[in-house]
Amino acid sequence: MNNSKIWQCSTCDFVYSEAAGIPEENIHPGTAWQDVPEDWLCPDCAMGKEDFDMHEV
Amino acid sequence: MKPIVIIGAGHAGLTLAREIRALDKAMPITIISQDPIQAYYKPNLSKALSMNKSADQLIMKQLRALKRDLDAELLENTPVFKISHEKKSILCQARDSENNKQETFELPYENLILATGANPIPLPIKGASGNVVSVNTLQDYSQFRKIIKDKKQILIIGAGFVGCEFASDLSSNGYQVDVVDRATWPLEKVVPEQMGTEIKHAISKDGVNWHFQSTVNEIVKDNQGKLSAHLSNGTIILSHVIISAVGLLPNIQLAKDTGLITDKGIVVDDYSRTSHYAIYALGDCVEYDGQSLPFIAPATLAAKSLAKTLTGNKTKLVLTPQPVGIKIANCPTLICPPHTKEGSWHVNGVDQDLEAAFFNNKKELCGFALSGEKISLKSEYLSQY
Repeated sequence: MNNSKIWQCSTCDFVYSEAAGIPEENIHPGTAWQDVPEDWLCPDCAMGKEDFDMHEV
Repeated sequence: MKPIVIIGAGHAGLTLAREIRALDKAMPITIISQDPIQAYYKPNLSKALSMNKSADQLIMKQLRALKRDLDAELLENTPVFKISHEKKSILCQARDSENNKQETFELPYENLILATGANPIPLPIKGASGNVVSVNTLQDYSQFRKIIKDKKQILIIGAGFVGCEFASDLSSNGYQVDVVDRATWPLEKVVPEQMGTEIKHAISKDGVNWHFQSTVNEIVKDNQGKLSAHLSNGTIILSHVIISAVGLLPNIQLAKDTGLITDKGIVVDDYSRTSHYAIYALGDCVEYDGQSLPFIAPATLAAKSLAKTLTGNKTKLVLTPQPVGIKIANCPTLICPPHTKEGSWHVNGVDQDLEAAFFNNKKELCGFALSGEKISLKSEYLSQY
């Protein structure tokens, strides 16, 4: 996937990589951040998507 | 246009404001709090020593940044003492710092949201008043860090989520810790005995003395300021500081005074609405199906669906089971608290690596707890609901 981005939780530093996804949560590798469900919560600290900041790879 | 007024600036109140702002750039929002308004992650209060952070370093956003990002009116240190729901307005008290007077003012609202949180359960113990601290806010924590500086011995009353995290955080940072609880093992309400015993041993590695099946009868302070706690089993524990971590009570006074339906918490429907049509509630002050859920995830989910409802897209709150991580230095643990007492635990695994499932009498999964390497089974368990 081109332009794959990394997003990081500003509360606990959990990292979401678009390239890797989170297969065990049914978020397949290559899932763009905007396609991660709106009600998805950070697996480590339960904050919402709004709490993530984008980091270019 | 009258604003949406949110009472309370904890995680629930601030998240709601942000979710509304993400959906509607123009809707006026006012957040009013009796405390200073700063964004911080409350679960970090019982982990901050190990994170090597001071109270101030736990602040994620100060008032000015919040004001800018939320484009909202923020009123801090301003208690609300009355809601007039016929007039759709609240009465607040502002402190005029120049001449140190209290000033009362009225604030009209379009919709009102109660995010008033929960307060520590008061301890009915002789001598507790003035000698026991609770750590429920960043201000409490800031004070607590000042108190424990240069001190060594700390007694924690309560071996639940907060008590266990504090025991782990303090003991692994050089404090000598005692824990008292009337239960038989730590986290008794949410993990089975086998796992509780492992958690107890893990925390004990850093030197914690546990006093189970006992309660504190009386606290006495000597001339040097040292505290002695007299337990029901006859033990006397000496300490410099005593923390109460026996749990929280939803803060429902304002809701009660307004005539809203309350039980242990403020009663709400599937849309987070109270018994009054223009007043909503979310977070630790609420009860869902008779249960309070004083965790981050339910408040985040409630804020997201309520923001949609308030911006014109009526959305039901669906509370999916959300496991809560508990930070114990030598034994990572993940708990999805059982929502019923009727049923039994089934445990698998050895030593610290345990999976425990709680089934009700109909053999349905109602909760689980995973520790050590077994926490990798989280999604597998969640998919069984």
